[in-house]
Amino acid sequence: MIPEVLGTVLLGGVGALDATPVGQTLLSQPLVTAALLGALWHDMPVALAVGVVLQILAASTLPVGARTPEDYAVGGVVGTGLALLLASQVSFTIARDGCALLGVFAGMIAATSGVPLLKWQRRQHEGLSRWCEDELRAGNEAALGQCQAAGVGLAFGVGVSYSAACLGLGTLLLMGLARTESVWLSRAWTLAQPLWIGLGLAQLLHAFVQRRLLRVGVFAAALFLTWLLLMSGAS
Amino acid sequence: MTVPALRKGDLLRMAARASLLQATWNYERQQGLGWAFALAPALRRFLPERAERCERLAEHTSYFNTQPTLASLALGAVAALEQQRADTGQPDADGMRRVKHVLGSTLAALGDRMFWLTLRPLAACLGLILAIGGSPAGAAVLWVCYNAMHQSLRLAGVFWGYRLGPKVLSGELRPRLERLVHAWAIIGAAAVGSIVALLLVPGGTPRPLAFQLVLACGLGLGLVAAQRVRPSPTEWALGAGVLCLILAWHP
Repeated sequence: MIPEVLGTVLLGGVGALDATPVGQTLLSQPLVTAALLGALWHDMPVALAVGVVLQILAASTLPVGARTPEDYAVGGVVGTGLALLLASQVSFTIARDGCALLGVFAGMIAATSGVPLLKWQRRQHEGLSRWCEDELRAGNEAALGQCQAAGVGLAFGVGVSYSAACLGLGTLLLMGLARTESVWLSRAWTLAQPLWIGLGLAQLLHAFVQRRLLRVGVFAAALFLTWLLLMSGAS
Repeated sequence: MTVPALRKGDLLRMAARASLLQATWNYERQQGLGWAFALAPALRRFLPERAERCERLAEHTSYFNTQPTLASLALGAVAALEQQRADTGQPDADGMRRVKHVLGSTLAALGDRMFWLTLRPLAACLGLILAIGGSPAGAAVLWVCYNAMHQSLRLAGVFWGYRLGPKVLSGELRPRLERLVHAWAIIGAAAVGSIVALLLVPGGTPRPLAFQLVLACGLGLGLVAAQRVRPSPTEWALGAGVLCLILAWHP
């Protein structure tokens, strides 16, 4: 289990890099990290169950302007990683549903609690950029590259440390619950999963539609046609 | 004196460095430091004198912010202006700041809508269509769909910006990008419709009525929540999750 946990923590660092400082390629999106973690832990069903819910919520969280959105890069890794870790310690299917529920909760809490850490990093960069300007004016051209490397290093370090702390704390607090309250958690999962998916999908629909009737029509037509296609394919 | 034009390698280096535009994002100068870092290959070509180049780089570390993918267009355009400045002395530092400000805010308005509000949710929806059926290929679909556009624009943007200069958005490019956003939003609405149908009748077998009702409740709650910025979708989801835990409690 140690290589899997180490891989998860490192992926937290990579996700933290991809989200803002380097590339913004969406490698840090919960669905992508969930698929990678599913392959790492050899448990794709639990990884995707958590990844789908967190992805829908992450997609409706927007980094527009100077707003600091929830940190779903690390939240996605923590949520899926924790669900996989807990699921690896239980054997019944019903208990695995409970692990998925706890994973989604942990992911959302980690994403929300990660915001102050992001803000802290950004404040550290203020000092760095002032230092860089002074160094440039003094003729040190390399200062620019050094600052960029420091920014990347800080983001990776914070991502790895935060993922490790959340995974450790989550395991400590939730392992007992996952083992003893599997029936309760599984029942809650059957309620919460469609509710969360619906809530997130509505946010996405709202972003796409923008009060335009044509787009509402397209949504309704696609819903009806897909439903028809699925029903006729089954019969 | 005629300043040498940028070579293809310089522009490629700028595009590659644009990936680090937000590495030191901060509240004071936002992307300022990353901007100077990405522009450095162009200034190295135009200003062989080290002291002058360092002074110019320091000038570029001031406030700048835009959508990170479309920043490439501004980078190319400002590189073209820097070439002109090295050649003729115009525009001066204030003029350059004004051009950067206008380009930054115009590209942010277009880019936020294009990438954060449309392409990212669209790529997520296309990935989710597969992932809901249990296929990890959905993750690859999400990643490829987004990056096909994101990386192409990041790379080509520097070249377009350099060729067209500060007028890069006054030609045919902007209406084309606007049309693209409109088309993506329509495809996105269709994708959400398909996802809802896939959730209701996966493989043609209808889900239990309870599932369908809770999904409908979630959709309704989401549409209400979307009318306000606060609480955020995550805060709504946390509240809804706690409610489900309470409802499922059966000692």
